[in-house]
Amino acid sequence: MNGVAPPMTTPLRVGLIGAGAISHAHVPGWLALGARITVYSQAGSHELAARYGLEVAESLDELWPGVDVIDIVTPTSTHAEFALAAIGRGKHVVCEKPLARTAADSAAVVEAAERTGVRLFPAHVVRYFPEFLAARGAIAAGRIGRPAVFRFRRQSAAPQAAWFFDDAVSGGIVMDQMIHDLDQAEWLGGPVRRVFARLQRRGGAVAPVVAAQVVLDHESGLISHVHGTWGSPALPFSYSFDLAGDTGVLRFDSARDDTVRAVFPPVEPGGYLPETSGAESPYSVEIADFARAIRSGGPARVDGADGVRAVRIAEAALESIERGLPVEVQPTGEVDASTDDTLIGARA
Amino acid sequence: MNRTTEPLRIGILSFAHPHVEAYARSLLARGVEVFGTDLTPYDAGTQRGAELAERLGIEYLDDVDAVLARAPHGVIVTAENARHRELALAAFAAGAHVLCEKPIATEPADALAMVEAADAAGVTLMTAYPVRFAPSFRELVARVRAGQFGEILAVSGTNNGKIPLDRSWFTNEAAAGGGALVDHVVHCADLLDELLGETAQEVYATANRILHADRGVEVETGGVVSIAYPSGVIATIDCSWSQPDSAATWGGLTLEVHGTRGSMRIDPFAAHISGYGTGGATWDAFGSDLDELMIDEFLGAVGDSRAPVPDGSVGVRTLAVVDAAKRSVRSGLPEGVHATA
Repeated sequence: MNGVAPPMTTPLRVGLIGAGAISHAHVPGWLALGARITVYSQAGSHELAARYGLEVAESLDELWPGVDVIDIVTPTSTHAEFALAAIGRGKHVVCEKPLARTAADSAAVVEAAERTGVRLFPAHVVRYFPEFLAARGAIAAGRIGRPAVFRFRRQSAAPQAAWFFDDAVSGGIVMDQMIHDLDQAEWLGGPVRRVFARLQRRGGAVAPVVAAQVVLDHESGLISHVHGTWGSPALPFSYSFDLAGDTGVLRFDSARDDTVRAVFPPVEPGGYLPETSGAESPYSVEIADFARAIRSGGPARVDGADGVRAVRIAEAALESIERGLPVEVQPTGEVDASTDDTLIGARA
Repeated sequence: MNRTTEPLRIGILSFAHPHVEAYARSLLARGVEVFGTDLTPYDAGTQRGAELAERLGIEYLDDVDAVLARAPHGVIVTAENARHRELALAAFAAGAHVLCEKPIATEPADALAMVEAADAAGVTLMTAYPVRFAPSFRELVARVRAGQFGEILAVSGTNNGKIPLDRSWFTNEAAAGGGALVDHVVHCADLLDELLGETAQEVYATANRILHADRGVEVETGGVVSIAYPSGVIATIDCSWSQPDSAATWGGLTLEVHGTRGSMRIDPFAAHISGYGTGGATWDAFGSDLDELMIDEFLGAVGDSRAPVPDGSVGVRTLAVVDAAKRSVRSGLPEGVHATA
């Protein structure tokens, strides 16, 4: 089948490329929808398949024929190549964020998907975390008035897989971790026009830790700042935001979530995957949204243009870190179909 | 000075800064003889001058000369920022040690002149940075000194509060030297100075005027400052007046430090009992009174003729961060920090 999106069959047939840490977040979401998953990976596919009851493909050629949707959960620098290959075979694509290592590659993937007529969803899962959605709703309802100063913070123990610290592969903490909040800054606060960033890395190659701070000027006059840390092994995962406008402020800190108090012996230290506080995993909500969008042909909460934009801002931050100077970002070219502008007070 | 035979005499010059109330209370509670004078202009609807002195229970004198004629051992300057230099220099000339409200001045040259004048007069200058005395900050410093952080990478500071509109000089460029950048960067900058033991090197800052725009405020009301230190440590300070008027407390300050071996966040004003009253949410703070601890340090330094901590030189260095931030907002570029003290 070439060039045309295949008709949806029931159950959904998903080809998973990659079997690393994040695959464990995606797989339950697909399974909850009754999807049949075939996994292809250079390593770990049989273990993953055994754990969740998946099929295994030993090669990409073996993977393509039996699936309708490709879900890419590989290291960042391989995203574009897999996405273009899948699109070329007429598959819909779900791709873990960032959409690609560069904005140019991300745009090429979006362009290819549009040309081919398949759906493309960069998996910006934070858009599916209920606290961020609640904040977006509250801003739209005028709770804080005109947005003035937003701050976002995200931290965890440094990831163990070495590729996260290889800038050519992952883009480092800015492109991998902080891209979540860079995306939120625009989703909640409207288009960014200027980016300044600093980054500090220590601990050598054996036990690297890194922190970065990004300051954003938005077109509306809003200032955002984003703080990311991949810290010591003792640092638990947490994230927070503080969204101030001229009539109010919205605050959330996952470290203060008091929904559940439980005390058990420690299982494992640190860990960098977002824990979920509620009964429903945001990853599963996200995957369900993508599956619904594929079946209905309607929009999802995040689309390809959003993915390109997030990479573009992260790229500007990396350029700022490199040059030590602020970097201007071009205004958003296309109107994002998934973004209801009336929801964003800053644009009003 | 002989402390066994006479109580300390402390003069207060100007009641322009509302902190004067806490300082006066702390001084009186310690048996100090307190007198002062106020300097116009006063905002309509505010209690100032002799009336305020009477309410606080301190003696009111006619003018600055009258205060200095009492030969105070120490003087507290709680004037508008732009007046700090003039009043501090008068106090030094009278042989008094000075506790100066922050920021130490509006212009770096003024701050430097104050430090030099104190040295020349053989008296000391202390900058009013009460958060230095917070037990949580002391614990943070102790852990840093003990090496528990390994190498420090990054610090994130916030100092958000309600806009101080009841005293209009806070939002007057000439009297205050600026807005939120001037009012709220220095506290975190001071904590960073103490924590890192190095002087800020380069500052990038951005500011806006969205908060309180409806009240005709002309100075910046929101701002974020990004600082690089010579060791490579990076830091930010959110100095925005972003605590809404409807909030149950004035605002707060937080500092989060990340190192190769550990991380720590402090929120020295977090301790409180929360609830709901007839006016909505309530906030009753408890814990150490940082103003009292700071006054104790000042009185101790005055009584023992020793250098106070934080001193005037950190006032100069922290003002230099503000100065670089203001230049950066104008230029849109990172600016070097010119600190000489």
